[in-house]
Amino acid sequence: MTTLQEAATQAAIREAADRLHAAAANGTPTGPIRDLLREGDVDAAYAVQRINTERALAAGRRLVGRKTGLTSVAVQRQLGVNQPDYGMLFADMARPEGLDVAIADVLQPKAEAEIAFVLGRDLDGEQLTVADLFRAVEYAVPAIEIVGSRVAGWDIRITDTIADNASSGLYVLGSRPTRLTDFDPRLCGMVMEKKGEPVSVGAGAACLGSPLTAILWLAKVMARVGLPMRAGDTILSGALGPMVAVEAGDVFDVRIDGLGSVRAAFA
Amino acid sequence: MTSLAGIAQIVDEAARTATPIPQLTDSQPSLTVDDAYAIQALSVARRRARGERRAGFKMGLTSRAKMAQVGVSEVVWGRLTDAMRLEEGAVLHRARYVHPRVEPEVAYILKKPLEGDVSAAEALAAVEAVAPAMEIIDSRYRCFKFALPDVIADNSSSSGFYVGGWAPATSDVANLGILMEVDGRPVQVGSTAAILGNPIRSLVAAARLVAKAGERLEAGDIVLAGGATAAYPLTPGQFVQTTFQSLGRLSFHVEA
Repeated sequence: MTTLQEAATQAAIREAADRLHAAAANGTPTGPIRDLLREGDVDAAYAVQRINTERALAAGRRLVGRKTGLTSVAVQRQLGVNQPDYGMLFADMARPEGLDVAIADVLQPKAEAEIAFVLGRDLDGEQLTVADLFRAVEYAVPAIEIVGSRVAGWDIRITDTIADNASSGLYVLGSRPTRLTDFDPRLCGMVMEKKGEPVSVGAGAACLGSPLTAILWLAKVMARVGLPMRAGDTILSGALGPMVAVEAGDVFDVRIDGLGSVRAAFA
Repeated sequence: MTSLAGIAQIVDEAARTATPIPQLTDSQPSLTVDDAYAIQALSVARRRARGERRAGFKMGLTSRAKMAQVGVSEVVWGRLTDAMRLEEGAVLHRARYVHPRVEPEVAYILKKPLEGDVSAAEALAAVEAVAPAMEIIDSRYRCFKFALPDVIADNSSSSGFYVGGWAPATSDVANLGILMEVDGRPVQVGSTAAILGNPIRSLVAAARLVAKAGERLEAGDIVLAGGATAAYPLTPGQFVQTTFQSLGRLSFHVEA
C-alpha cells in the first residue's frame, strides 16, 4: 500500500470513529459506516473501535471489562462471519438491579440474557487453556445486556457492529454470584420473561457451544491486541437466546438454572 | 360431506401406510375443532382394534410462537399408543414416516388419575416420575401444511416417542437446558421453560382438555408435555442425541 492510500485509509477510519462518537453523544443514529472501509475489513473496523476506546479513556471513563458478541452460529451466519467479536465495557454502562434503566440512555435498545463472569486474577496470554480460565474466574452472575446501535435501523454488517463497540449499550448484573463449580455453564437452561411470558429461551450451549469457549477466545484476543483481561474485569460472554426489542415500561426477568435471576425494568 | 368415521379411516390409513394426503379442510372447510377431536378418537380406535394399546397423551402447540404460527390461543393434544413407543438407542426407519421431525420433550408418567380442572400441585402429586424425551412428529399432510382441525384430526402429528431414564417426580424441570445434536453437531438449543413457561402447566392443561373429551388421564399414562425447541427434520444416516441438564441424554439412529 502506498503512503497516500494508507493516509486515505487512516482518514476514513478516523471519520467512521467520529461519526459513531457523534451519534452516541447527540443521541441520533448515523448511517452505516461500512462504506468508509473496505468490505469485510475487520481490522479496520477494530481500529475504528480502538479510536473511540482511547477517546473514552482520555475522557476519564473507567474500563471495567469486555463483551463478546456474535456468539450464536445463527447470528454469525446472518452477518457472514465465522467468529465472534468483542467490545469494551465501561463503568458508566453498568446499571444496578432494582432501579429503572432509562431507555433514553441507549440508542435502539434490545435485551439479551447472558452469563457474566468476573475475574479473580489476570487472564493474560495468547496460549491460555480452559484450565487457566477455571483458576481465573472468581464467579459468575446472570446478566441482562441491553445492546444498542449507533447505526440507524440496526442496518449493520460485520464492520459496522465491530466499529460500533460490538453494538454494546448497558448491562445489569444479578445480585448473587456463583462459583464455576456450582452450576453447569454449558447445559444451564435460560428463560427471559416479560410479564410472565417466555420471550426468549435457550441454554449455555447457545453461546459458542459453551460460554467458557467465548471467554477463552476473548482473553486470547485481548492479550494479542494489548488490552489483556485483568483481575476484577467483568466479561459479558454472549447471548443464551434470541435478543428481544425493548420499550419503556417493559420489565424483563431472566432465570438461568443454577445461577438464579436478574431483572431489568425500563422507564 | 364424508362421515367422521370415513375421514378417520383416511387419516388412519395415511399414517399406517406413510402416504401423504391433502388437507381435510381443503375439501371440507366447515370442519370444526370438535369434529377434529372426534375424528382423532375414531382413528385411534381403529389402531386399538388392530391391537395397539393405550400409552398416554401428547400435548402440542405449547409455546406462544407455535400458537401464533397456527393462529390459536390453546394447546392441542393427541393420543399415544404402545406401537408409537420407540426403543431408545435403537434405529428409526425413515420409510415408516411421511416427513418425520424430532423435537425434545419432557415426559411425565402418572401414578394416579387426573381429571378436569386441577392445580399444578395436584398435577404434581399424581406424577410418578419425569424423564427426558424426544417425540417424532409426522404430519400426514403434504408439505407439513395444515389448519388447526387438520392437525388435531391427524392425532396432533404424533407418530413416535422416545423416553430416557426416569427421575423422581420432585425433580425441578422448570428451566433445564436442552442441547439437541445431529452427528455430534448442535441443531437446537433451548430450555424446558419454552413449554408454557413450565412443563407442569402442560400436564394441568392435559387433565382439563382430555376431560372435555369425556376421558381422563389414568395411572400409568405417559404425558409428553410439548416441544421445547423447533422440530428438526430427519434423514437417513443421522445420529440424533439430546442432552438435558441434570436429566441425562437419549439418542437414536435414522436409517432408510
